[in-house]
Amino acid sequence: MGSFFVQRLAQTIVVVLAAALVSFALFRYVGDPVNNMVGQAASMADREAMRRALGLDDPVILQFLRFLRGALSGDLGVSYRFGVPVGGLLMERFPATLELSVCAMLVATVLGIPLGVWTALHRRSVSSHVLMILSLIGVALPTFLIGIVLILVFSVWLGWLPSFGRGTVVSFGSWTTGLLTAGGLKALVLPSLTLGLFQMTLILRLVRAEMLEVLRADYVKFARARGLTNRAVNYRHALKNTLVPVVTIIGLQFGNVFAFSIVVETVFQWPGLGLLVIQSIQFADVPLLAAYLVMISLGFAALNLGVDLLYAAIDPRVRAGMMSKARV
Amino acid sequence: MSTNVVTRPQRWWDSDFVYDFRHSPVAIVATIVTVVLIAVALGADFVVPFNVNDPASANVVDARLPPGSSGMFGSNYLLGTDPQGRDMLSAVIFGLRTSLMVGGASVVLAAFVGILLGLVSGYIGGWLDALIMRIADVQLTFPAILIALLIDGISRTAMDRATHEALAIPVLVVAIAATYWVQYARTIRALVLVERDKDYVLAARVIGVSPLRILLSHICPNVLGPIVVIATINLALAILTEATLSFLGIGVPPTTPSLGSLVRIGNEFLFSGDWWISAVPGAMLVALSLAVNLLGDWLRDALNPRLSGR
Repeated sequence: MGSFFVQRLAQTIVVVLAAALVSFALFRYVGDPVNNMVGQAASMADREAMRRALGLDDPVILQFLRFLRGALSGDLGVSYRFGVPVGGLLMERFPATLELSVCAMLVATVLGIPLGVWTALHRRSVSSHVLMILSLIGVALPTFLIGIVLILVFSVWLGWLPSFGRGTVVSFGSWTTGLLTAGGLKALVLPSLTLGLFQMTLILRLVRAEMLEVLRADYVKFARARGLTNRAVNYRHALKNTLVPVVTIIGLQFGNVFAFSIVVETVFQWPGLGLLVIQSIQFADVPLLAAYLVMISLGFAALNLGVDLLYAAIDPRVRAGMMSKARV
Repeated sequence: MSTNVVTRPQRWWDSDFVYDFRHSPVAIVATIVTVVLIAVALGADFVVPFNVNDPASANVVDARLPPGSSGMFGSNYLLGTDPQGRDMLSAVIFGLRTSLMVGGASVVLAAFVGILLGLVSGYIGGWLDALIMRIADVQLTFPAILIALLIDGISRTAMDRATHEALAIPVLVVAIAATYWVQYARTIRALVLVERDKDYVLAARVIGVSPLRILLSHICPNVLGPIVVIATINLALAILTEATLSFLGIGVPPTTPSLGSLVRIGNEFLFSGDWWISAVPGAMLVALSLAVNLLGDWLRDALNPRLSGR
């Protein structure tokens, strides 16, 4: 366990350092930082003085270490486009993205599990076949098209739901939430449905497959032989054992949901991190992109390390497997 | 003149693979759709009703006409027109060509790099193997779309505008390929590890065949089978990735129509009720990705010996 942890930690540190290096290279070599800060009228001497003051004539390795120290203390430079520190900008956008991702996962789980159970229990019914075909199409549908179709139907034609923004948000200090107002909740419906739909088809098919497997197991046959009601067998015995892999998938898919939130935020002009990063690419806002890169690599590294450790902590078989793998 | 002689075409026709295919309506339809779309894309210049790449074909008076309408000068627009008065059907066919070209090129690149690294990793082993597989492990912990987006976005920021305009499509191909090489590398490596110790490899080594020759002409042909399946499924994913990036405005340059960038243009006119400008390329994208996806799924099942005789 110990050696596994050390190896994973080392891997995580290497990944984050690599991302930081790319980010530093972007920051340092794309455009001239001095040019971006001083006006047109600055003399050569002024520029030289500024270059020295910023430490841009120090050895590169020293500059990189300084960049790392700055990044660790939350100082990641100033956005070209907004003229404010990027750390603050990213933090300001983070609640919107987190809220969207969590709601999408919730939609996927709340719809996916019952539908999966239904298709497993009523395997030969017409409704199950229709659901399975729809879930196949769901895989081939790109996320942005789902969003556009939902906007067309529910905003343009029916006029029921807003198609952009977060509606009214309530703020608690630096945290904002749209969960407490009617407008905020309405604005959340279409984006989280769009983002959650693909995950829902995934959960549906997983639950169906697991459930079919479990229903063939001996203990389920015995439960039936004991004369338990269908309901008790299906839900108390079968479903409970189906849910273990589902919980795992939800944890693993969270990173994917986060990535696709970039697409959904663009479709719905949702003011989160994803929209910010797309705009920073389009406007060549280097500091913002560099900071996002560091942040995202740190976030993903932490998420994966967390999932792995949790996994090992829960399941002794996984722990054994990982230890033997770590030795190779 | 025995009637029992089985001719070669007959044997091919009765083989498990072809039998499976003949009895799967899904596979037949998916293949037909895929082949027709590829043919249309390749022959785009000959099949389009209007040459939308020629500015003279745009008629601003005919802008944003719904499907089935005729223009001022008697042109018939089967699927309507876009904001510049260009025929949607023709625009979508050119878009299909770009999407298939970018998707196909990135699959070829990813397969080439992945197979090469997989062969090296499996046959040579040692620290090189460890390094390649660690990189693959790390990459798998990040979502593919995020990697493609960041590679594309960073190179876009790092180049000046003119350089990027010229290199946009190659950059896009590399960004997409970089996200999918891992699967090929891992599959090939696992297969090479099995083949490496077989007698025919040993025999070749004994008679002094060079390692490179052993890899390329002895091991390679024996491990390439599963690549077809991975490549087909990857093609669908690569097409969707290209469409997504182009929709976000960071894929193909604005002057090149691709299915994703066409949907992006249409998106701006959604609220004026002009649904077809995004719906037509959208529908084409879904048809293409669904057909290739189903074909890939079928191939995977048909070529998997464990599933045969279901």
